[in-house]
Amino acid sequence: MSEPIITTPLRERATQALGDRFLHEALDIATTKFIGLRREAFDNFPQGDQLRSRARAIKEATLQRLDEHLERLVDNIERLGGHVHFATTAEEARRIILDIAKRNGARMAVKSKSMATEEIHLNDALEAAGVTPVETDLGEYIIQLAHERPSHIIAPAIHKTKGQVAELFSRELKRPGIPADPEVLTKIAREELREKFLQADLGITGANFAVAETGTVVLVTNEGNGRMATSLPRVHVAVMGVEKVIPSMTDLAVFLAILAKSATGQKLSVYTTLVQGPRRPGELEGPDEFHLVLLDNGRIAQIAGVLRESLYCLRCGACLNVCPVYRQIGGHAYGYTYPGPIGILLTAMLNGPGSVKELSHASSLCGACADACPVNIDIPRMLIELRRQVDEQGIAPWPERVVFKAFARVLRSPALYRLGARIGRLAQRPFVRAGRVRSLPLFFGHWTRTRDLPPVAARTFQERWRDLSS
Amino acid sequence: MTSRADFLGRIRTEMAKTRGLFAASPAERPVNPRARLDLLRRELSERWPQTLERFRAEFERVAGVFHRVTTAAEVPATLERICRERAARRLVAWPAEDLGVAIAPGLGAAGITVESMPRAVPAESERGRLRALIAESDLGVTGADLAVAETGTLVLVSAAGRPRSTSLLPPCHVAVFDRTVLVETLEQLGLALEAWHDGPAPPERGAMINFITGPSRTADIELTLTRGVHGPKEIHAIFVDGGLHG
Amino acid sequence: MSVRAVPQPRRRAALMITCLADMFYPEVGERIVRLLRRLDVDVTLPAGQTCCGLPLFNSGYHAEAAEVARRTVDIFADAEAVVVPSGSCAWMVKHEYPGLLRDTAAAADAARVAERAWEFSQFLVRRLGHTTFETDVAGPLAYHDSCHLLRGLHEGTSPRTLLQNLAGAEVVPLPGSDECCGFGGSFSVRLPEVSTSILDRKLANLEASGARCLVACDAGCLMQIRGGLSRRGSPLRALHLAEVLKP
Repeated sequence: MSEPIITTPLRERATQALGDRFLHEALDIATTKFIGLRREAFDNFPQGDQLRSRARAIKEATLQRLDEHLERLVDNIERLGGHVHFATTAEEARRIILDIAKRNGARMAVKSKSMATEEIHLNDALEAAGVTPVETDLGEYIIQLAHERPSHIIAPAIHKTKGQVAELFSRELKRPGIPADPEVLTKIAREELREKFLQADLGITGANFAVAETGTVVLVTNEGNGRMATSLPRVHVAVMGVEKVIPSMTDLAVFLAILAKSATGQKLSVYTTLVQGPRRPGELEGPDEFHLVLLDNGRIAQIAGVLRESLYCLRCGACLNVCPVYRQIGGHAYGYTYPGPIGILLTAMLNGPGSVKELSHASSLCGACADACPVNIDIPRMLIELRRQVDEQGIAPWPERVVFKAFARVLRSPALYRLGARIGRLAQRPFVRAGRVRSLPLFFGHWTRTRDLPPVAARTFQERWRDLSS
Repeated sequence: MTSRADFLGRIRTEMAKTRGLFAASPAERPVNPRARLDLLRRELSERWPQTLERFRAEFERVAGVFHRVTTAAEVPATLERICRERAARRLVAWPAEDLGVAIAPGLGAAGITVESMPRAVPAESERGRLRALIAESDLGVTGADLAVAETGTLVLVSAAGRPRSTSLLPPCHVAVFDRTVLVETLEQLGLALEAWHDGPAPPERGAMINFITGPSRTADIELTLTRGVHGPKEIHAIFVDGGLHG
Repeated sequence: MSVRAVPQPRRRAALMITCLADMFYPEVGERIVRLLRRLDVDVTLPAGQTCCGLPLFNSGYHAEAAEVARRTVDIFADAEAVVVPSGSCAWMVKHEYPGLLRDTAAAADAARVAERAWEFSQFLVRRLGHTTFETDVAGPLAYHDSCHLLRGLHEGTSPRTLLQNLAGAEVVPLPGSDECCGFGGSFSVRLPEVSTSILDRKLANLEASGARCLVACDAGCLMQIRGGLSRRGSPLRALHLAEVLKP
């Protein structure tokens, strides 16, 4: 169990998000833009679909020999003078990293964006241990100052206006009157954080890939903070889920060709940084120590689990951008570290099926996510599997299970089905006005509060058939 | 703490429960990458003008500034112009042998200081001084190990005399290169990476490789694009027709 | 010896009416029957139909869905072709029935029915090769891609072909035509506010398109979209494709 289970009902969180006018507009603009950029990138990339299939195959093939690839990765990193640690739980990962920080007398750590470190709630643990974590990705820096969590996998502060950011900077950085100008805000962040990069004892990053054949850890970034965090401080710690290992550099080229295109529509992100252990003896710069923390935290159990396919995920965020639900409610309403379609699957992976009792239904199963995914993950299929688990393990509320089983009984019997139609016709009588049903009691009110319903026909099609077949 | 054996043991246990979702293979790797890369270079040398044109288009598309000179002797003058346009007075640079051209004399005459990065690693205190100096510099001059036309990307391998921050800390980065580093596609980049890792690494090679595609950028605030977040705000390429390294 | 013309066997099709059309939109079923008969298709309605089981399947009640599937497969086991007026139901039959019944005695029947099932627009265009109809509906018309038809059955062309070929009816593009309408079966009542918010977006797009009438090939989408238009007192309409093609 990685994260505390949210107790506020999803419906409440979602409705609250829907009421946030600015969030709504920000989400609309941002997701629409991302969708357009991704479409344009793939329209100009005829081999895109073929590469996506290849990328998916590489991910599946890697899982089929995961142990070998990980062994090779570890051996190579150690050969290069790096250290590899094995964390089964989030707690263990935190302890490993705190130990490294303590041993090095670190008092400040600069962090390059890493959802894996969000997942294990690392920042709180660092603070508690007297190590100040400084987020350096601009979006992460903003939400860190605001004491919030990311609301999108690749654009963490997508829910904030420039006005809100300016106000935040003015307040937290004690520099009153900062204008709501992204250029100015970026410049301020650059200045504030440049100092931190140069002073930090420790750089903590995630990793997009790790190449087993060569012991190379790969970071994909746009701002330059990934390069800073892996070259300036004396110690570099990379935290990475075990599923991110890939066999070779040839495989890496395939993934690089589709990753940025899927995430932001760029052909490549600005920086792709290949880290091969600590600084070599002949190098002027670079960390003296390199550590890779390999993270399980629920992933290993899915190798043979229903969520195996979600281990292919590249964390590009494309599924969030196209999801009709995410586009309406944003990331925070999901309640856990990872939002959006893949986020529901990852939440189940990290916290068990109980955590997605409601979230597994935060989807109309439209399939836009699967369409957008660069490794063709069939997210809807797994959402249905999670719903099935929730039902079969008795996690779903019992009235719901009773209703569905009764419904199934009716569908198995044409006589009960016909009876159902007759009952419906009778029961609806008080509610039909001008050929429409405008309000219904109980549970059915969920529909009629905002939408009309057609009445059950006076004669169903099957009842009319005799007239039609003559 | 979980040991390596326990961790991998658990993975093996889970793997044994399933054959996976479908038959799949990783990408096919080149059999003799170094020979393949040499062959590729020879093929590319026949069509380098087209490759260069593609590189220029993509480099400019990601807001790189492209310059082209006929001989290496013209490089200092181009650099001087770039410096003057930005009121840049202090440069850091790869050593002349690594750049393939000497730039210090020409720029010195124009009152622009060039600090060449040392090849040998100096004492800790000198490293600190250099770090501060690089951070204060206006412009960093490097070569490039590869230039990828498909994406307008420069590939820089860190090494003795080629520290990582030369192309990272100053607000302007200039890369000087010639036709010998041009490749067409990401796939060919993959081949180069295979070749570079085939066999032991040369002792002067560093522990980092960076692919650089345009200046540092973010769109984290209202999806408005801004440049020069942490890395350079500008990136320039100076292509030397006649070649570098004599 | 005289040569006699060999009579062409009339095409036969069994109609899977679907629970929503049966209960709420029987007029759609009637239109389809008249349309197909005019095209010389012998339409039958196997008796005892209830539902394809998709709502059970989507909510994770797979054992129950398999039982409903078995019934349905039984009913349609001998059909030459099965015509389904809803993309989601057609998807259920074609995509999920074989898997649900894989290790049962009904496996072969399920595979056969899956293979012979057609969503309505696909049946007209791809099976019958008939693409030109007239209409008695005032345009402009705009087509909404229902998710299961577009992404599940990879069908976006047949309905558009039929609409484009309608003489005298203007067809306009619908912005975000491939975006979900927010129905999603039980989703529409589990998260009604989100479902409605998604619907609002669809209706705004419809209004922006300049169309007078939205056309779709799924009863679920129509229930959602019509429900929204009606509640808002909108003059715009939402019709099933069969209601736009003149029989």
